[in-house]
Amino acid sequence: MKTLTTHIRVILALVLRESRVRHGRSKAGYTWAIVEPVLQITILTILFREFRGGSDGSGAEFALFFATGVLSFNMFRNTAAYIMNAFEANRALFNYPMVKPIDAVLARLVLDLATNILVMAIVLGFQITFMDVPPPEHVPLMALPLALLALMALGAGLSLAVIKRFLPSAQNLYHIIMGPAFFVSCIFFSLSSIPTQYRMILWWNPLVHGVEGFRVGYFADYSAPDINLLYLFTWVCCLNFFGFVGEWLTRFKTT
Amino acid sequence: MIELQNVSKSYTIKGGRRNILNGVSMALPWDNIAILGRNGAGKSTFLRMIAGIEEPDGGDIRRNKTISWPLGFRGSFHRELSGVENVRFVARIYGQDTEEMVEKVRDFAELGQFYHEPVKTYSSGMGARLAFGVSMAVNFEVYLVDEIMAVGDARFKAKSKKAFQDRLPYSRLVMVSHSMNNLREYCQTGLVLDSGKMTYYEDIEDAIKRYEQLNEA
Repeated sequence: MKTLTTHIRVILALVLRESRVRHGRSKAGYTWAIVEPVLQITILTILFREFRGGSDGSGAEFALFFATGVLSFNMFRNTAAYIMNAFEANRALFNYPMVKPIDAVLARLVLDLATNILVMAIVLGFQITFMDVPPPEHVPLMALPLALLALMALGAGLSLAVIKRFLPSAQNLYHIIMGPAFFVSCIFFSLSSIPTQYRMILWWNPLVHGVEGFRVGYFADYSAPDINLLYLFTWVCCLNFFGFVGEWLTRFKTT
Repeated sequence: MIELQNVSKSYTIKGGRRNILNGVSMALPWDNIAILGRNGAGKSTFLRMIAGIEEPDGGDIRRNKTISWPLGFRGSFHRELSGVENVRFVARIYGQDTEEMVEKVRDFAELGQFYHEPVKTYSSGMGARLAFGVSMAVNFEVYLVDEIMAVGDARFKAKSKKAFQDRLPYSRLVMVSHSMNNLREYCQTGLVLDSGKMTYYEDIEDAIKRYEQLNEA
């Protein structure tokens, strides 16, 4: 019990600390963590709408469709990338006996989860208020795939952090994979809109299930019959198992 | 205060493994203890194991006193954060009253306006004063010291020493240093680490004698 309260205390202290240093101590500080993705998503939305949505006259609807995709996708991509660097960024702190590497990882998960949810609320709130799009249909149903994506980010980020203990270039590998992943994770098209032979290939991408699952909760009558959250959950379990066990096994290998 | 039960520890170096402790069982008394040993004997690693930062490869270490982190580095301070913000972080992880600790360290470290500036702007003396001030603001029963006493000017050294002496009824010191004078000044007993074995000497002079023999060999 005492160790649990210590962990919680340490994680909270780390969250406060990380929020101060994440954006290089500019005057605006943590505000940038919110403003940056909001601007990014806004610009991307405008761009994609010009390319695609402009012709069929459903610009606002496409903007919402795209926003739900990119917001849930970012929940995974940004959080995993942020967690991946938790060990190096906090190395000096591990000289305090109660600060464990896992605490640094969980602190980054908490902070990035909060950041992503805030960004989500701002982007979706803006569209609902000013672009006359429908509000979310079923919030708990949205929260489940989102939670799975966050947990998968934890597993993937931790696994990568462990691999990086031996192979620092694993970081580049992650970015190489996540580049194309943006185009095959159903961010600007739905799974049911693609031809069957490609659909079965995309189905294996776990992010598809998180992104499309999020939309099933958001839209009243969204058709996504192939979505399987259990498949996503399997990825969550495997990555977390690898990450936590790997961390435990390699804990004192690099000092 | 610290009980070692069949503790083993080794680390990998180029061309093999080096033993630091080879199945050592010992109960360390609550004393001011100097840790001696040749370069690479594992003095700092031993300190980190007592602190609980590194686990032994085998065996168990039990502690029934509150033990500090190894003092003498400023690496745990975030360079972009101010002294105050760094102090708050330490206060939070140790469950101390943050504002009370901020005031204590303000008085002790004498950083003036720099207390509110990023640590990266500090001179090494200022960093050391902050590190020492922070460690004195948490009431540890055992302070682990890794060569810290050598930093700061004469006046600050005298102040540090007095701070330690005021603490002496409640606190003890476990210290690694290459300066025998430093060790004599603070410690009464000694531990000598040598190729996996550890020997305790009730009189620090005996420990120093043994250490000098090792160096001649």
